[in-house]
Amino acid sequence: MLVDFELIKRAQKGDSAAFNEIVLAYRKRILGKITRLIARPEDVEDVAQEVFLRLYFSLDQLRTPEVFEPWLYRLTVNAAYDHLRKQRRRQEFRISDLSEQQVMMADAAAGGKVERDEQQQKKIREFVDSLLSEVSESDRILLMMKEVEGLSLKELEKVYDVNENALKVRLFRARQRVLKAFGSKEP
Amino acid sequence: MFPKGGTNEERLDALFRAYGEACPDPDPSPNFMPNLWQRIESRQTYAFSFRRMAGAFVTAALALSLALGVYMAVPHNQPYAPQSYIEALADSQPLDAPEIVGTVSLDLSESSH
Repeated sequence: MLVDFELIKRAQKGDSAAFNEIVLAYRKRILGKITRLIARPEDVEDVAQEVFLRLYFSLDQLRTPEVFEPWLYRLTVNAAYDHLRKQRRRQEFRISDLSEQQVMMADAAAGGKVERDEQQQKKIREFVDSLLSEVSESDRILLMMKEVEGLSLKELEKVYDVNENALKVRLFRARQRVLKAFGSKEP
Repeated sequence: MFPKGGTNEERLDALFRAYGEACPDPDPSPNFMPNLWQRIESRQTYAFSFRRMAGAFVTAALALSLALGVYMAVPHNQPYAPQSYIEALADSQPLDAPEIVGTVSLDLSESSH
């Protein structure tokens, strides 16, 4: 825990300063999780703010401060999921909005600015993003929480409020699909 | 860059690790907190006005129900108040002079034909 229970209780009673402290303590971690979950750096802050917004308005529903972290991760997962669903709907419009020339200019500009390491990282992000497009948004998030965030099945059980066996089955299926895509798309 | 060697399972694990490293925790922008509080306040304002509107609606509905209740409770002089069939029959044909027990009129001109 990055904050003590007393601070959470104060925030639950409507103490804005206490809530501010909680956000300051967790925002970097949440930003990181969202970065890895949605793979769109430009949208990360917006989604993180949505997470803390939901936290602010639902903090009084938290029964015990002990489950604060799994609960915050659940809010993160839900906000990332909502964002990915909206993004999928917007995707077609976004591509058709840009002319071929605009796309080439954007690529050239990016190539000139970004250093080699960053380009490699970008390629990895894009490749993983394309692999994850083979599974549903919810499976993508589940897989990321397990494989990249390193959450154990016990921790995932608390976040999702689903029993371990069901999670295992879902993770296995999602991983198999990604593995299949990995075999065919690998550069 | 992309993990080479090993089984597909191992390379996928390595790719996920590389992905984790390629997505470090970003630093929040200086506007993160002001923007967050702005969003909270605007949501609060919206929720407050919605709650106020809902409250006004409930109050109006209660007042209307109360007014209707009072109106229904007060007895009214109703000349054409609904009544039972027996009461209606009694009103239209009083028992002191019922038509069915009245004097029989006999038309004698008919019998002469």
